[in-house]
Order: sequence, then structure tokens, then C-alpha cells
Amino acid sequence: MEAEKRIWKCGICKIELVMKKKVFSYLGHNVSHEVLTCPKCGKIFIPEGLAEGKMAEVEQQLEDK
Amino acid sequence: MQIADCGLRIRKTLSLCPMCLKRLPAEIVKRGQNYYLEKACGDHGQFSTVIWRGDNPSIEQWGNHVPPHESEDAPLNCPNACGLCPDHLQQTCCVLVEVTSRCNLNCRFCFAQSGSQSADPSMEQLAESFKELVKKDRTFIQLSGGEPTLREDLPDIVAAAKSAGCQNIQLNSNGIRLGKDKAYTRALAQAGLSFVFMQFDGTEDVIYEKMRGRPLLEEKKAAIQACSDEFVGVTLVPTIVPGVNDHNLGDILSFGLSNSPAVRGVHFQPVSYFGRHPQPSGNEDRITLPEVLRAIEKQTDGKVKVTDFVPSGCDHPRCGFHGDFVVLPDALLRLTPKPQNCSCSQDDGNAHLKNRNFVARRWKRTLAEHQCCCSEDPGDMDYFLSRIKSHGFTITAMAFQDAYTLDIERLRHCSLHVYERGRLIPFCARYLTAETNQG
Repeated sequence: MEAEKRIWKCGICKIELVMKKKVFSYLGHNVSHEVLTCPKCGKIFIPEGLAEGKMAEVEQQLEDK
Repeated sequence: MQIADCGLRIRKTLSLCPMCLKRLPAEIVKRGQNYYLEKACGDHGQFSTVIWRGDNPSIEQWGNHVPPHESEDAPLNCPNACGLCPDHLQQTCCVLVEVTSRCNLNCRFCFAQSGSQSADPSMEQLAESFKELVKKDRTFIQLSGGEPTLREDLPDIVAAAKSAGCQNIQLNSNGIRLGKDKAYTRALAQAGLSFVFMQFDGTEDVIYEKMRGRPLLEEKKAAIQACSDEFVGVTLVPTIVPGVNDHNLGDILSFGLSNSPAVRGVHFQPVSYFGRHPQPSGNEDRITLPEVLRAIEKQTDGKVKVTDFVPSGCDHPRCGFHGDFVVLPDALLRLTPKPQNCSCSQDDGNAHLKNRNFVARRWKRTLAEHQCCCSEDPGDMDYFLSRIKSHGFTITAMAFQDAYTLDIERLRHCSLHVYERGRLIPFCARYLTAETNQG
């Protein structure tokens, strides 16, 4: 969460990232979530908390059996 | 494989004589679109029993499971000395513990032949069994019978299992007492009961009259409500008998889905002819897994499809199927099948653990039901996570084997074991009965 409070800039475009809804695909299923996104090149930043938290949980729920 | 006059021979295996239970060589033979298990006993003649009807899905598409050398090299004493020998090919997912053989019904179909007056195991014996099971990491138990709710001390038994370290405590029940005696149901919940597998053969009383001897639908509904009041998940378990309730599968699913999240899933069990059953079985008395799948698709008007299902993850493919769903306010979200190259669907030796965790997660009710999620977009990550926990729904099946259909290749992959006098016995070996035992 801390990561989202800071101002992050795209390492390539050098402009500030903005929150934007993005679609993530896993095992044929799509879920969307707002993540920091470069308005110019579209690259996204996924904070550790999201990767190890909700995203990991979605993966586990989908692949659990 | 060779083509013979009497059909296409698919595979050699081993089975038993249904009359004397002598071990016999057997073959799976395809005739037309149907598959049969065929064998001959020197004393009792030839037997040809249908095990798979139709090519949607075909047996080859479904299982594609050719274990190395099993048919030839199966242990010489399998299944006569069953008690999980080193040649068994699957670990224990779930252990069934019988707590009584008494029952408050006298069903025409009963694998356990309940109703005897044999003494119940004592609390001390059961507590010792739970400790032994937990020591060996068998922490998913089913309390079964008979009808376990005939025991006044069932809440104490649940508590003893919990105290021993059992992580998932499932109750197999016809639900009659659960609906009538709410204090008893509450005591079970408070003792740590995880979920209930409830006999639920249909949505019409005539079905219960034929199978269980009297109308029971209202009592089943009361039991589901009582469990819901105590936040105990219920999985409906219909035994499917051709001509009795095979027309009702779609309605059973509709009923289950409309009662989500109280109802966590439906677990179909095509009838098997072991224990107590009304007549010697012919092939017309059997319904096979692909027929159940096709009936589900047809009777739900395609809302649930054959292609939504995959073989059972931790048993032999021909032992069952499972489908994983999420009940949305206006739709059903399918989660199966996974892509074929998905590593989670391959048995890496931990299939029994994956299955154990999976069913526990889906069948237990969770506090996620009470958590508010701002979004109601099923595609939103937060909503998806909340909804899959609160309204996950499984549609599964298990085809038990009887002395006609028993295939040692399947038996050796069994992960549902019965605990008896310190031994773990594959379910279908434990309840096997010879046809001559039937009245």
C-alpha cells in the first residue's frame, strides 16, 4: 500500500504513473484491477503487496485442484 | 488392442467374480459406443457389465490413462488383503470413520447395509482412532454410518476429532435429525463440524418414497436451513438410480444453486450394487459417468455443459468427475476445465493434498459472505475473490465400484479410505459384497 502513496514515474517515459484498470489473465480467466500505469507507454507497476496478496490468491483459487 | 468378433478389446485388467469374489482376469471391451468390463468365472459363468456408455466424452478422451504394467503386475493379494499395501498407487485424501451402524431409515439402497444392532464404537476408541490418523497426516475425516446423528454424543465425537488435530470434519447424514433438533445441530457446529454431506436424492417426494421408503423432501429442506443457521456448509449427495431419479438431475442442480451459499455443491453418486439393494443388477439398472454428464447438460438446458468437467483429480479418471463454479447473482461462472498444460492438474504426488485443500475451501462457509465488496463486476479482482470464497460451488461425482464393475486398476488409485481396526481400506474394497448375499 505504501508503494501506491508515493509518486512513481515511468523509468522510460519519465512521466508520472496514474491508476488505471488493467485486465490480468490466468488459466483462461480474466480479472481486472486498478494499478499504476504509464499513460504514455502503458507499462504497469505491480507493488509487492498486490503480487503476493490478491494476485497470488486469485491464482491459488483458480489452480487449486 | 485387437478387433475380435465380440468387440474391440481396449485393455486387460483384473476384477472379481460377482458371485464368489474370486479374483479373475478381465477385459474392457467396446461394442458400438459402449464399454463393458468382461470376465468369466469357472464356477459362475461369464459376466459383461456396462462401465461407460457413449462417446461424449469417449473413455479414451476422458481418462487417457494407461498405467504401466498394472494389469499384469497388480499385487497377487489385491484386493483380498486390502489395507493400503505398498503397491497402492494413491495417498489418502479423506478417511471415513464409521461411528454407528444404526440408522433411522431403512433404505432400499445402502452401501453400508445400515440397521444392524452391533455396538457403536466407544468415545475412547474413536478418540484413539483420530489421534492415530492425525499422526499419519490423515486430517480430513468423514463421520459416517449408519446414520451418525443417532449418536447423542456426536458433538463430543466431533470435538474429539477437532482436539486430535483433524482439520476437516465432514458429517455424512440423511439430515433428518439435523432439521428437527436444532440444538443438536448447533452443538455439532460449535464442536467444530466443518461441513455436511447430505443424502439428497431429488426434488420430488416420490423419489424418496421409492429409494428411502417415505417422503423426505421437507425434512431435507429443514436440514439445509438448520445447517445454514449454524453456518455449516451442505453438499447435496444424490444416489442416481435409472428410472427413479435420473430425470431429476437438472432440478437437483437448480435447487442446489438457488440455495447457494448454504449449499456448497452437488456430489452425484451413480448407483452401485453393493451392500443392500433391491434386485440383482442388470445393465439396464446402471447409469455411467458420461450419461450423468450428458444428462446434466440436457437437463440444465446447456447452462452446465459436459465440457465443464474434468476427471477426478486424485482418484482414477473413471472414478469420478469434478466441475468448479462460482454462483453469480444472474449467472454461473465456470472455472473448469483448466488448460491442459496446467501443472496444477497433473499428479505430482500431492494430488491428495491438493484435493483435500480444494474441497475444504469450497465446502466450508467463510466470513467472506459478510464482507462488503464495492464492485459487483464479476471481472473485478476484489469481487471475484470475495465471491469465489462465499459462493464457490462444486459439481462432482463418484462412481463406486461393486463386484461386477470392480477394476483393480481403479481400486489401486483410490484416495477415499475407510479406517477400521488400524487399517486403511479403499472404500470400494471395504464395502464389497457378493451378489449371493442379496435377498
